[in-house]
Amino acid sequence: MSNVLRPYLAAVRSTLTAALTLEDFASQIVERHNKPEVEVGCSKEVLLNPLIISRNENERVLIEPSINSIRLSIKIKQADEIERILCHKFTRFMMQRAESFIVLRRKPVKGYDISFLITNNHTDTMLKHKIVDFIIQFMEEVDKEISEMKLSLNARARVVAESYLLAFNS
Amino acid sequence: MAAPQVLPLPHGQIPITSHAFNADRSQVAVSLNSNDVTIFHRQGQEWAAGETLSEHDKLITSIDWAPNSNRIVTSSQDRNAYVWSLTPDPQTGTTIWKPTLVLLRINRAATFVRWSPNEDKFAVASGARAIAICSFDPEGDWWVSRLLKKPIRSTVLSLDWHPNNVLLAAGSADMKARVLSAYIKDVDKRPAPTVWGEKLPFNTICGEYTSPSGGWVHSVGFSPSGDVLAFTSHDSTISIVYPAHGPNAIHTIKLTHLPLVTLTWTREDEIIAAGHDCQPFVFRGGEAGWELAGTLDDNKHAGGGSTGVGGGRGFGAAGAGAGASPVGRLSSAAFTTFRNADTRGFASMASSPTSPGGSGGLPSAGGGGESEIFTLHQNTITEVRVYEGVPGDVRKVSTSGVDGKLVVWDVANVSPLGAAGLSGKLGGMHIR
Amino acid sequence: MDVNFRKIDIDQYDEDVLQEEELYEADPRDPAQVLNDAKAKVGAVRNALSKGDTVGAINLVLDGTPVGPNVEEAKNLNLQTLTSILNSTKASEIPAIVRSLSQDAQDTLMKYLYKGMALPGWGEVSGSVLLGWHEKLTEVAGTGCIVRAMTDRRTV
Repeated sequence: MSNVLRPYLAAVRSTLTAALTLEDFASQIVERHNKPEVEVGCSKEVLLNPLIISRNENERVLIEPSINSIRLSIKIKQADEIERILCHKFTRFMMQRAESFIVLRRKPVKGYDISFLITNNHTDTMLKHKIVDFIIQFMEEVDKEISEMKLSLNARARVVAESYLLAFNS
Repeated sequence: MAAPQVLPLPHGQIPITSHAFNADRSQVAVSLNSNDVTIFHRQGQEWAAGETLSEHDKLITSIDWAPNSNRIVTSSQDRNAYVWSLTPDPQTGTTIWKPTLVLLRINRAATFVRWSPNEDKFAVASGARAIAICSFDPEGDWWVSRLLKKPIRSTVLSLDWHPNNVLLAAGSADMKARVLSAYIKDVDKRPAPTVWGEKLPFNTICGEYTSPSGGWVHSVGFSPSGDVLAFTSHDSTISIVYPAHGPNAIHTIKLTHLPLVTLTWTREDEIIAAGHDCQPFVFRGGEAGWELAGTLDDNKHAGGGSTGVGGGRGFGAAGAGAGASPVGRLSSAAFTTFRNADTRGFASMASSPTSPGGSGGLPSAGGGGESEIFTLHQNTITEVRVYEGVPGDVRKVSTSGVDGKLVVWDVANVSPLGAAGLSGKLGGMHIR
Repeated sequence: MDVNFRKIDIDQYDEDVLQEEELYEADPRDPAQVLNDAKAKVGAVRNALSKGDTVGAINLVLDGTPVGPNVEEAKNLNLQTLTSILNSTKASEIPAIVRSLSQDAQDTLMKYLYKGMALPGWGEVSGSVLLGWHEKLTEVAGTGCIVRAMTDRRTV
């Protein structure tokens, strides 16, 4: 992993670890319900201060902790128009299949590209530090993935252009 | 200096929400993250599942087993509590656990329950911003309750009884620990004056303490003498209050670790507390001050319980590399599945990413960017209770946690906190 | 049919519900006073910095920080002052400085680091500098310090 990215991911890792201190908490508002408080947002006292970790304006992570759930939103680096399109397609592809990802949210929080919702049910059935690993790995891979896609897109465009122009060669 | 002992409960890795032993520690009632209580009993070295107590229809939050009267009380998110006692079955003649309804009169989840020291009443904490103090009404053959309401402003998360059977400590999500009077005229004799106050009618507030940096108060505990109160809160602090020494006699320890969610006093000068850092910490001190003395966990458990009796029972072997939980390893497996589907057009998406056959077995999983923790418990410890000894001289404590383990620890076996413990294992900057 | 009544937040009329402002004790000082204190600090900090006393400068900023609502101006000024110190500190000196701070000061510093990161590109705030400090501070003060930055509603 590149050395520039490391402090950023380390900060996300430690903050996420600190935020993943969840417990079962039944709703105070609606009886016999149990909902992620970070999504409901009605009981102020069980929400904590949201924290933002950023490298620059274009790359940041928002972590919104609460007593039984946290919401983590990522703004993925997008340098140009192609990366913006690729990023949009990529995150949309995954969010449409959110149930297979278990912790993925179907819709990103405003201002971010992709959001995860981790509840106490997830920390019950999965190991906390493995969830942290997953998020960190995701963040590492997603940048790589998008630049790879950009490369192959360019390569493909070149091939297409070449074979198209070949027709005029003769 | 016995090593910690993992009780080999035959249930795998289902989280234990709550546990309570009977008086002679031959049986344990546990709630496995479900609506039922299962009673396990000792059979030589093994533990076998016995009766299941099913009456609740929502998650059970807390269990307490009265040692002398041999009754179990359970609370649940379905707003109810039941008192279970052994009675002969009229049809078969065998003794079974029979539930008695409790008239709680709360309209939100019941979150925590504890018998009073004399076992003639119990307290139920709830999300209805109230605590129900329940006593038995022989005429109706049920338990009736009186509510402590003011000044609680949020869900009550934990309770502890004072040894005098009247005072009650409560920790709640409004970031306060309180000491209240739960005096009930028909049950209690007039209590002798304590450091908390002299006249104690029902719902007297004897003390109110705010957590130092605004965290929910996860657990409260009176010292064996009842003269000192300790509470832990979500801002990773533990505070010890000496009411006899004026309002400011509060010692606070700010931890570098994750928050503590449960505590128990072992001696007048020693507290064991555990929580999200997966290990039981030992605090020692007195009126002059308190300090973190060490941990009961020697932090040498490579990625899952290879020690202890329960080693081979499913979670021991699996813990070594790819993750002790079958779902834990889904993370990278799911990612790989999708990346394959995405970039290479593999259509293997139909198979569930949770299937254990995924990439979990790959030898590389243990290295690389995967972090590991070296505590015996692999996930949050949710409850620590006295296992052996009398109040003021506790020799062993038991802990249960989200990783489904029930562990008995010798409190004399304290390891110092190493340099690695400074930032907490989970916070370790261990990435590739 | 008019269904707007369904959208009324009836819970806000429940008198038992905790309100935002009840969650912490407000700063007893007057907002103008707080701003003056923060302004007074700027000079003292510059003085300490010119003597090469970074630890002293940081302690000055982190002591009696403006918290709570109505003091946005003082908060921003304090952040600016702190940022100038953080930016001028050599990376190799950070661990020693962080270690010499009291636990309370560490907690406050952590809050400022997160505040700074929430405002990338604001003033002299630089993501990489803050991340460097964050890493060193976490090594010393642990995850507990981060948890306190989340729980403490006396935001800086």
